[in-house]
Amino acid sequence: MRLELLWSEVTAVAPGAATRLAGGALEIDLAGLTALLEADPRLERVHIDLASPGEACRIGRVFDVYAPRAKDDGDGDFPGLLGPPVRAGRGRTRALGGVAVVVTDQQPDRSAALAVIDMSGPVAELTAFARTHNVVISASPAPGTGRSEYLAAIRQAGLRTAVHLAQAARGAEPDAVEVFDLPAPARVPPALAHLPRVAYVFQIHSHQRPTGLDEGILYGDPVRRMLPTVIHPNEVLDGAVVRGFMGRAVTTWATQNHPVIRELYAQHGRTLAFVGTVLTVAQATEPERVRSAVMAAGLVADVLGADGAVFTKIGGGAPHVDMAQAAAQCEARGVKTTLLVEDMSTDGSEEGMLLFNFPGLDALVNVGSAQDSVTLPPMARVIGMEGAAGGPSTYGTVCGAIEQVGASRVMSQVQ
Amino acid sequence: MSELRVVCYLNQFFGQIGGEDKAGVAPRVLREAAGAARAVQQALGDAGRVVATVVAGDNYVAEREDGAIGELVELVAAEKPDLLVAGPTFLAGRYGVACGALCAAVQARLGVPAVTGMHPENPGVEMYRRRVLVARTGADAARMLDEVRRLVGLGVRLARREPIGAPDAEGYFPRGIIRNVVAGETAAKRATAMLLDKLAGRAVASEVPLPDFPRIPAPPPVRDLGRAVIALVTDGGIVPLGNPDGIEALAATRFGAYSIEGRAGLDPGQYDNVHRGYDTSFVRQDPHRLVPVDVARELEREGAIGKLHETVYSTTGVATTLAHSERMGREIAAKLRAARVDAVILTST
Repeated sequence: MRLELLWSEVTAVAPGAATRLAGGALEIDLAGLTALLEADPRLERVHIDLASPGEACRIGRVFDVYAPRAKDDGDGDFPGLLGPPVRAGRGRTRALGGVAVVVTDQQPDRSAALAVIDMSGPVAELTAFARTHNVVISASPAPGTGRSEYLAAIRQAGLRTAVHLAQAARGAEPDAVEVFDLPAPARVPPALAHLPRVAYVFQIHSHQRPTGLDEGILYGDPVRRMLPTVIHPNEVLDGAVVRGFMGRAVTTWATQNHPVIRELYAQHGRTLAFVGTVLTVAQATEPERVRSAVMAAGLVADVLGADGAVFTKIGGGAPHVDMAQAAAQCEARGVKTTLLVEDMSTDGSEEGMLLFNFPGLDALVNVGSAQDSVTLPPMARVIGMEGAAGGPSTYGTVCGAIEQVGASRVMSQVQ
Repeated sequence: MSELRVVCYLNQFFGQIGGEDKAGVAPRVLREAAGAARAVQQALGDAGRVVATVVAGDNYVAEREDGAIGELVELVAAEKPDLLVAGPTFLAGRYGVACGALCAAVQARLGVPAVTGMHPENPGVEMYRRRVLVARTGADAARMLDEVRRLVGLGVRLARREPIGAPDAEGYFPRGIIRNVVAGETAAKRATAMLLDKLAGRAVASEVPLPDFPRIPAPPPVRDLGRAVIALVTDGGIVPLGNPDGIEALAATRFGAYSIEGRAGLDPGQYDNVHRGYDTSFVRQDPHRLVPVDVARELEREGAIGKLHETVYSTTGVATTLAHSERMGREIAAKLRAARVDAVILTST
């Protein structure tokens, strides 16, 4: 399966009469884009701000971040969410580098926690989103729009904007073309037969909080009864998977630029043979969890024939244990594993970092502690939230500092 | 940066009073950098001044335990220091334990930061490394000046509230506290490299220590259920409406005791659920899915169990610290034992 990402690097973003890419400058027709987004009856008062790296600016109540992408032939953008669920992961996709679409949450809710992006200052170093030109969408719910409906609407606005911006690169000579081309696992060529076969097990949602009807995650499906599923990694890179509405442990951006998938591609043919991706969800009950762990390990060991697997999770404690049970099943079948975990301690002590201790699960990488403290400096301009909101805060509030899929570099260290 | 006031603590040997024959000497204060404290002053340079050296015999402290430590804390307090440097103690066991105890007490009672130094096999390391910054040293004073320099460097940063790096890089024993740092590579790259190491049979340095969960032996079976008093306990987060005990949704420190006296079951209209770690909609619809009072009452009527205990205990088991879990477990068990309960049905989620 072959996917080409046609990259256009953007060095400046500014309002313009039409949305177009001129050299490295992206001009955006803000009125036109606003009108496009306001056509959604679930939203009103759509507002678009631009924020660039180095500005004394904070973006607040970030809901999610999207990478601008558009299929070059006009069909299949975020399948199942913006259109019919056609297969993602093949063909040519336009991608803008250096630009992100940031969607803010303007319907404060007791479960909606603060997540911020600082474009400069000490906290900016922690997140990739301080180094992108950000197109910030803030929209209010129309009267009568419920929470889940609103979140579905702002996510659709973010995805539409991501497609709209990337379409501006159509016809341009790309600055770089990345090719993602893996043979079907059964057909790994003999030249790669000596390399260890490695799979990736990607937990895409946790049913600690059931998905809403509008909460499409995999090809637009809310993954309510999902069992472990083999998927081609290109489908993940090409919009088949987006984040649900829970938490801020992973951004859709990180999924679109999936760091584990990219790294396994980078090593493919050199140190390993990348044999595929298994999607799972963290289950709500013990029988479901066991069934899912057994099936995931079966796909990894017996269908993909992997020698090793990397695991990631999404969310808190139940997903953490769910991931570990699936990995333990792999180890029991002789498949070596590494797991990416977030520090789970609530008192900053070593004892609470991990909630499991299964035989064989001895190779753990951590993505840091969301509860460790960080100070947000005052900021001249604030987008998407009331007040400057500087002062003592936590790593968990810095959007992009802790990406559970492994895109970030923050880690916790026992001292 | 202002000059730090530093107090040193030494045993009789490093304080140059004498050898084992002087191990019984009582605490004394010298208003200068005496004995091994001269190396501390040298390492401090302009960063600080040793205003006093407190010296006591190894046996004097070991034989009086808390009493001697109390005396020493008073002596240290009188000098109003910004930092206490105790030892280094190398392999000397009594000395190591005394330095650990004094550092822990000075930090806890005076709020003054303290450091000490020990060899990995000194018993003071395991006793005090979680409460006190203990620098790693050799077995004897052969490399005293270098080791004191590292010890003092750590102490100065502790006193100035400056960050301290990883235990291996900085040469101290892990205190078991967690701090975020920024790694050289993304977690995804580190995980892939670690997997390749594991597949090749190379040594793997996990970034997370594996917890040592204690094994709890199962109690003997209940001999005669028909005469047993059975209690219902849950960490699934059921509370009366309004959560009167303020049980935390996450990382609980409290539990509630709720009477079911005279009730055949739990009315969903009177209960809420505050647990944030699972989908609680089904137990809100019917609390018996979590706390089976209905079935237990039937068993009580049929005589299958002797009696249902009239108090249900509840907390939330989600990201709860091990320390609070153990304490709440002990407290609930003590109440159940006092009420002569024979067995518990513990429902989790």
